[in-house]
Amino acid sequence: MTVHPPRPVRPLDPIPDETATEAPPVPAGHHPVLGHLRASIVLLVLTVFLLGLAYPGAITFFAQKVEATSANGSLYYVNGTAYGSTLIAQNLSAPWLFWERPTPYDYNSSLGSPTLLGYSDPALVNETKSYMQQYGPYKVNASVPAILVTISGSGLDPDLTPEAVLVQIPRIAAHSNLTEAELNTLVDAYIIPPFAGFIGPAYVDVFKLDLKLLTLEHRSV
Amino acid sequence: MSYSLSLVGPYLDIAIVFALVLALAPSIGSFMGRVFMNRPTVGEGVFGPIERAIYRLLGVNPRHSMRVREYAVAFLLSNAVLILWIFFLLMFQNRFPWGATPGISPMAWDLALHSASSFSTNTDFVHFVTESQVTQGGLLLGLQVAMFLSAGAGLAILAAFIRGFVRKDGTIGNYFVDITRCVVRILTPLSILGAVVLVFLGLPETFATSATVHTLLGSTQSIPLGPVASWQSIMLIGSNGGGIFGANSAHPFENPSALSNLFEIGLMMVVPFSSPFAFASAVRRKGEALPFLGTILIVFFTAVALVIIGQIATNPDLSPIAALSQGSAYPVGQETRFTLPEGALFQTVSVYANVGANNMAIGALSPIGQMAMLFGMFTQSTPGGVGTGMGYLLTNALIAIFVGGLMVGRTPEYLGKKIGRQQIGWAASLLLVHPVLIFTPLVATLMGGFVPPLPTAVGASAHTFTSILYEFTSEAANNGSGMGSVYVNDATLWFNVVGAVVMLIGRFFPMIAMLMISHYFSVQSPLPPGPGTLKTQSFTFTIYLTLFLIILTALLFLPALALGPLTQIGGG
Repeated sequence: MTVHPPRPVRPLDPIPDETATEAPPVPAGHHPVLGHLRASIVLLVLTVFLLGLAYPGAITFFAQKVEATSANGSLYYVNGTAYGSTLIAQNLSAPWLFWERPTPYDYNSSLGSPTLLGYSDPALVNETKSYMQQYGPYKVNASVPAILVTISGSGLDPDLTPEAVLVQIPRIAAHSNLTEAELNTLVDAYIIPPFAGFIGPAYVDVFKLDLKLLTLEHRSV
Repeated sequence: MSYSLSLVGPYLDIAIVFALVLALAPSIGSFMGRVFMNRPTVGEGVFGPIERAIYRLLGVNPRHSMRVREYAVAFLLSNAVLILWIFFLLMFQNRFPWGATPGISPMAWDLALHSASSFSTNTDFVHFVTESQVTQGGLLLGLQVAMFLSAGAGLAILAAFIRGFVRKDGTIGNYFVDITRCVVRILTPLSILGAVVLVFLGLPETFATSATVHTLLGSTQSIPLGPVASWQSIMLIGSNGGGIFGANSAHPFENPSALSNLFEIGLMMVVPFSSPFAFASAVRRKGEALPFLGTILIVFFTAVALVIIGQIATNPDLSPIAALSQGSAYPVGQETRFTLPEGALFQTVSVYANVGANNMAIGALSPIGQMAMLFGMFTQSTPGGVGTGMGYLLTNALIAIFVGGLMVGRTPEYLGKKIGRQQIGWAASLLLVHPVLIFTPLVATLMGGFVPPLPTAVGASAHTFTSILYEFTSEAANNGSGMGSVYVNDATLWFNVVGAVVMLIGRFFPMIAMLMISHYFSVQSPLPPGPGTLKTQSFTFTIYLTLFLIILTALLFLPALALGPLTQIGGG
């Protein structure tokens, strides 16, 4: 191990703690309170400009250069019109579309997080039952997965498990010109597998799926 | 949530994240220790000139080391300036740059007080919906500034605390040097690195405040946007936790994929889990890190396991519903794009590292999971927030060594410094102020009838109690996670003002106590270890410290757990 010569200490370098053995004298003209107040204010002003403005400014400049699509909210454009963000749920409650998870606020994404009913709250049972009722009039080929009738953490979850998408197929087949077999093939193509095989679950982005579904059904979006 | 109960598969990715953080912790910790103790570090040629320029602008002589009174004055003044700035910024937020966001009005004084206290104390407990109640100017010029400075203050206090073990001249360092070095060398580089990676992981980063889209069914949807990646980075690294959106890290823009979720877990863990090594490096005793890390890991792993177990079980209340299949993971309040272990690890790290970000709804968590979360906020030290967590753990260790020394008739001393009456007095009051700060407002709220009418009367009482307990615990611990506001409408005058007081005392009293403990150590000359010295670098001490921490916390807080989550587990 090589021994480095001690680094020269500049007038404005703090003294490493091991080398400080006694308290240095308070510098002349130093007012303990006013001096600290001035330092506190200057520290705040510096932070506002450097970390409040320059930091997000620089990251934004960089992001707009390298990842413009996701930096602007992963909006999905068809012929120059944005139809939604692939990351954010929207109201898709037509009988000929795959539905997403329910939300307490009609997919208005500026109302904050939904507050959810507690684990042992009787209201949770009623809420779940009422969300199940919207599946009542339509034929469901299996029992309803709980994920389809419960609210997510954000209320804006655009994704579903493959099972929760597949149970909706009979309803969509009845309301469109597509057969159940065609819909099964479509859903299979839209299952996003776990990243690298072991990170995250397999899931379906319902927004992307419905966008494809609309073109297959020859409906205008 | 496709999730199978096999033993390895679902846990492989979170195990890798954990292993990576622990593998990096010694190097990052040793770097942090050098920053704390004013030693030269990697990148001296870049950081040195920046810091010298800052010292010049601040009018600070960095070679002047302060005694405790001067250090505390500098620390409190600096925080007072910050709180006042954010308070006035939020009250007049429409007059500042980027203030003309449609539909956003200035904050009422009590909400501004709560928010200013919340972000300046590293709590980030929000009583507002960010995207519809704070302008972009308020976010960037105010709240994001507080996220850097409050995390920096936490690290500075830890540096001053550790300095007591190293120095013998009665001084504990220079507050402005400490916060400058911690922000310049630790928080800023990590935040830039984190933000760049988050940009590639798909987080939005723009100064536009919203985008309007035409939905597939022909209506319009307004989607809020902002500089999310840069915000999320410092929010997680600095153990802040206040989301740029109300839904916090459950919001698909703050946490768009399982991969971003894993990376964000790493961001939250990096500073708190490196802190034991920072301490050991600062006092130049490498072996002192492992007992602390061991204690943290034992408590933390238990909590992760409890949260996962709580979520795997099906909810018995939902079982009678015909044609409903619950699967193997409880979906209420969970996001589809994370597996159960990924979601649970994020949430447990977030609460245990005092970040307080949510990638799920804590209000919908199983009672056993909620109890695990509360326990983490009771200890505040496994690993706890940036800087402060290690300070709490050191304080607990001092009391444990003192008690252990008395029991076996050994000299209570640590690292050659005698643990005397003054140190124990301050350490004990530091720990005792926490339950006082939780239970006084809790009892006052319940007795004074400040709980709004409940939406559901029957069966919700234990849950209501838990959510009020959670609110004050989170504020007293400067955590910031919350159970939501259906049960506790917490944006009222009462909850705003009381919450602000709880957060301010919960932050500044323990920090002053840490400075006082450091002061009483700093006036002593270190003694060489004698035959009566308790050996702290041992497995026995690790277990002893863990049990001490758990028993002490249980003694202080078990009655509260019995009234809330334990009642729910028992069928309430």
